[in-house]
Amino acid sequence: MISEDALGQPPVIARLEDFDRQSGSRLERLLFNNRIAVVALCLIASLFLGWQATHLRLNASFEKMIPTGHPYIASYLAHKSELGGLGNSVRIAVEAADGTIFDKRYMETLRAISDTVFLLPGVDRPFLKSLWTPATRWTAVTEQGIDGGTVIPDGFDGSPASLEALRANVGRSGEIGQLVAANFRSSVIFVPLLDVEPETGKPFDYRKFSQSLDALKAKYEPMGVKLHVTGFARIVGDLIAGLEQVLLFFVAAVAIAFLVVLAYTRCVRSTLLVMCCSLVAVMWQLGLLSLLGYELDPYSVLVPFLVFAIGMSHGAQKMNGIMQDIGRGTHRVVAARYTFRRLFVAGLTALLCDAVGFAVLIIIDIKVIQDLAMIASIGVGVLIFTNLILLPILLSYVGVSASAASRSLREEADMREDGQESGTKHWAWRFLDLFTQRRYAAIAIAVAALLAAGGYRVSLDLKVGDLDPGAPELQPDSAYNRDSAFMVANYAASSDILVVMVKTPNDQCTAYRTLSRVDELAWRLRQLPGVEATNSMATLAKLAGVGFNEGNFKWFELIPNEGALGVAQTIAPRESFNKMCSLLTLYVYLQDHKADTLARVVAAVEEYGARNTDPNVRFLLAAGNAGIEAATNIVVGKAMHEMLVWVYGAVIILCFVTFRSWRAVATAVIPLVLTSILCEALMVVLGMGVKVATLPVIALGVGIGVDYALYVLSIVLSHLRAGESLSVAYYRSLLFTGRVVMLTGLTLAVAVATWYWSPIKFQADMGILLAFMFLWNMLGALVLLPALACFLLPRARPVADAADAGAKKVLV
Amino acid sequence: MNAPHRWVLLAAALALSTPATAATPAMTPGAVTGTTPARADFPVLSRPATPSAHAPEAAMLAVATVGNRLVAAGERGIVLLSDDGGASWRQARVPVSVSLTALQFVDGRTGWAVGHLGVVLRTDDGGESWRLQLDGIAAAERAAADPAGASSAKSGQSLVKDGPDKPFLDLQFWNDREGLVVGAYGLAFRTEDGGASWTSVMVALPNPDGLHLYGLRAGKGSNADDLYIVGEQGLMLRSTDRGRSFTPLDSPYPGSWFGLTVFDDGALLAYGLKGNAYRSADRGDHWDKVDMPTDTGVSAVTAVGGQALAVDQAGAVLESRDAGRRFALVQRTGLPLTGAAFAGSAFDGSLAVLSSLRGMAPLAPAP
Repeated sequence: MISEDALGQPPVIARLEDFDRQSGSRLERLLFNNRIAVVALCLIASLFLGWQATHLRLNASFEKMIPTGHPYIASYLAHKSELGGLGNSVRIAVEAADGTIFDKRYMETLRAISDTVFLLPGVDRPFLKSLWTPATRWTAVTEQGIDGGTVIPDGFDGSPASLEALRANVGRSGEIGQLVAANFRSSVIFVPLLDVEPETGKPFDYRKFSQSLDALKAKYEPMGVKLHVTGFARIVGDLIAGLEQVLLFFVAAVAIAFLVVLAYTRCVRSTLLVMCCSLVAVMWQLGLLSLLGYELDPYSVLVPFLVFAIGMSHGAQKMNGIMQDIGRGTHRVVAARYTFRRLFVAGLTALLCDAVGFAVLIIIDIKVIQDLAMIASIGVGVLIFTNLILLPILLSYVGVSASAASRSLREEADMREDGQESGTKHWAWRFLDLFTQRRYAAIAIAVAALLAAGGYRVSLDLKVGDLDPGAPELQPDSAYNRDSAFMVANYAASSDILVVMVKTPNDQCTAYRTLSRVDELAWRLRQLPGVEATNSMATLAKLAGVGFNEGNFKWFELIPNEGALGVAQTIAPRESFNKMCSLLTLYVYLQDHKADTLARVVAAVEEYGARNTDPNVRFLLAAGNAGIEAATNIVVGKAMHEMLVWVYGAVIILCFVTFRSWRAVATAVIPLVLTSILCEALMVVLGMGVKVATLPVIALGVGIGVDYALYVLSIVLSHLRAGESLSVAYYRSLLFTGRVVMLTGLTLAVAVATWYWSPIKFQADMGILLAFMFLWNMLGALVLLPALACFLLPRARPVADAADAGAKKVLV
Repeated sequence: MNAPHRWVLLAAALALSTPATAATPAMTPGAVTGTTPARADFPVLSRPATPSAHAPEAAMLAVATVGNRLVAAGERGIVLLSDDGGASWRQARVPVSVSLTALQFVDGRTGWAVGHLGVVLRTDDGGESWRLQLDGIAAAERAAADPAGASSAKSGQSLVKDGPDKPFLDLQFWNDREGLVVGAYGLAFRTEDGGASWTSVMVALPNPDGLHLYGLRAGKGSNADDLYIVGEQGLMLRSTDRGRSFTPLDSPYPGSWFGLTVFDDGALLAYGLKGNAYRSADRGDHWDKVDMPTDTGVSAVTAVGGQALAVDQAGAVLESRDAGRRFALVQRTGLPLTGAAFAGSAFDGSLAVLSSLRGMAPLAPAP
């Protein structure tokens, strides 16, 4: 008779013919009685999706990284077309290697570079600005009024006279610190970019653009100039270039995972099989992404690795189960079916938890995170097929090596002789068993509570947003951040700009009521710490008052006279107002893009906007990189809590569905909470902020962490229900799934820790955080979980006390 | 050059076209509450100057010495005080946020400052705190109520309609009761009671075109009852009865004057556009051209005894040690300078501060 007993120890069936093929669930029968068909289907899927995967593109888009649904971004996007140079742009500083920019050869090289950049696909040409563009003008107040012209003097020929005229024009252009460095050794080409290349209608290709910039560097740097490039597009270009190294980390992680699992099982074929199945999952995932029209960006590129890691974890569980059954003498096909029976539901729940944990990220209104959520959910969904179904079926063909199988059972065999623990129990198991006793459990819980309290205190300092200068995505000594430091050192214009948009009825952008309010707001903002300067039409209008009156400085004021103010339009740069004169910009130059700085400015603008009752002058946030970052911070900060609520909610519900006991749910979830708290504390200690890159890690940590708890607790519960003591139940689960939990926890932690050496800073950050979470979740599942079970699980209590006595006996 | 002319034309065209737009009701601030502009439309008239750590870098338009204290005035109602010769500045309490253009003290405690939107402020505590005595709206009403004739009443009415868009540009007080303030478009008011009440003296000025009045100075010594006004397009007026009546002087220069300085010996120095400066030793009857080493507009000249400092709009600081006959270049600061003041009682090369559109700056000792 073949039936699975409650202890999870089905009868040993050595010969396949003795096995009832119609036993098990309908799903099991469907899959295992048609093994060839399943394998064939998977093979076809692999070929097709593998071919699809080759079409997958790497890219990143500016708008995907910003929260498009946030009102600030909505205002920005609504007015973007009216205001040039507000969005995605790069600045190319062309540095004269020796001498100054007032040099014939330099100016010619600059013109050549400027012209080349002008023609690059995706450049918003009308708003491109360099010393050579006609939009670059000088304005001066003279006794005759307002005087001006292009900075490049008429008939410029590089002669000393025209260079002298150029020098004079630059001096009065107001571009020193903007387009021209204060030391006159470099000048900037400002390159605004479009999201869609108008020639092709395709999304802007960051990789190609960045490569074009590299080509420019290669071509012109030998000609006596040095190029420094900053801007989002360059960051993404560098990130994409850094991704090649990510591939190396992937290979390293795969190798580490393989070696560790091999060292544990000593069975090459099954280890290889587990690895192959996990890689197949990655391949399917990539193929599906390509099929669904997704692109991999620098954020989601880590997801395939996670999918592989999760696959290894589940695969190792399956392999361990099959290995033990084969060790007991069961036929490999039967062993595979037994393992499928015992672990499919736990595995499915765990993967669903992962998938839900990822899917919850969709609530965050930032496209890259939503994409990451989709991509990860797809990947985890794929794992259900490859590692819960395909892997056992393949193992049923391949089997495991006999020596590995018998080795895996040695410890368990010791136990089975008298159903009690013997002295030969592994020291690690003996140590972990302590936590099933009330005293040690209490100590573990007390320590956990202390850690949670301390961690919570530290985590209160957790900041939202980027905390480092330059591009925090890249390492501080990267080429990009050196270029960024060059810009900051040589150009007064801070790279962190927040733009307030001021909306008025048509033709009223220079009305007194508009400008006086803009001026008041500008001065208020100037008082805030972190605000270095402001600029708007109001500043120009004050100067226009001077220009309008023979240059007499005593007229430096917003003259409440519409005629006088209207003149400002003639000297204002195009980016400061729109064609209809119904929209003004107020530029706020910031010292940094720290969350506090941004929050202060945003709050001040909101407060002023709310107090200003004039319906004809409305203040809209926000454009400029810092404005967009401010909105991102708000969304991320809000999402952080929402996301935790959702991810925990989902995990709790799934755990409840699995265990049908609130006490069990608490036992599984409390260790995760501790890990989440400690992870936030770790971020504070390491100086990481919550941002687009780190936000997903918090959710992923919970999603992946619950796997361990599910695998361990499901076995513990089934043994407890069979009337065994907590100590025995826990020991059995350690032997069956617990040791694999330990194995995979360590493997994954070591593997992701290798990212620490990534040239991409946020990958290094994610590596550290994920390694930490893998380790703590493992410790939580192995130490805190039995300790909590000791107090929380009702059936565990009386039996655990008895086990206490038994344990004492053993110790004697 | 071609380009500059185009810009001037553009500005002129705009200036011509804007009155038409200004006629649309929504454009005029006054239209919000009716035909007469209300104070509510000009919040800068009632908003106290914001205390700011950046005030010393704001656009400052005038600076004066009051005993051992330096007092500077500028945009956003900022008044700065320094008791350490300009090494550090603190901000005074000012009830308005308009640009202040000029200031004068009659003793160590009492002084006045004038500025845009027709603002006149008075202090009685050495500049620490100021109170509003007149603004453009009240000034227009006074001018409209002026009983001195139909033509003036008419211009008074149009002043009311224009709103407070005209600045006062200079002031002269003889003591803590009696003084005059003058400004753009011929604006001129007189007080006999320390600023409690003001009467328009615009009719008394032979200024039919309503030119801007940039400089206002009393004579010194035996000519203490003289009062001179200089302004736009070579305007030069003299009063010998403390500003009750004026007669035009023959101007040696047709361009605009930016100001006038009176030396202790009674000599006058008028200065203005393009580095033009003329000196008169006979109460303005005859003028000699002073050779200034600059061709940029002279913003201000300040004199103590026979010594004088002149600053121009391009940042040059000029010095005279012979009561304004000759000036020599001291320094090019590169700042858009608006004024200068001696920090001590005499200039020794280091004790002067400069005001500029980019804030206060010390005048470094001459090498």
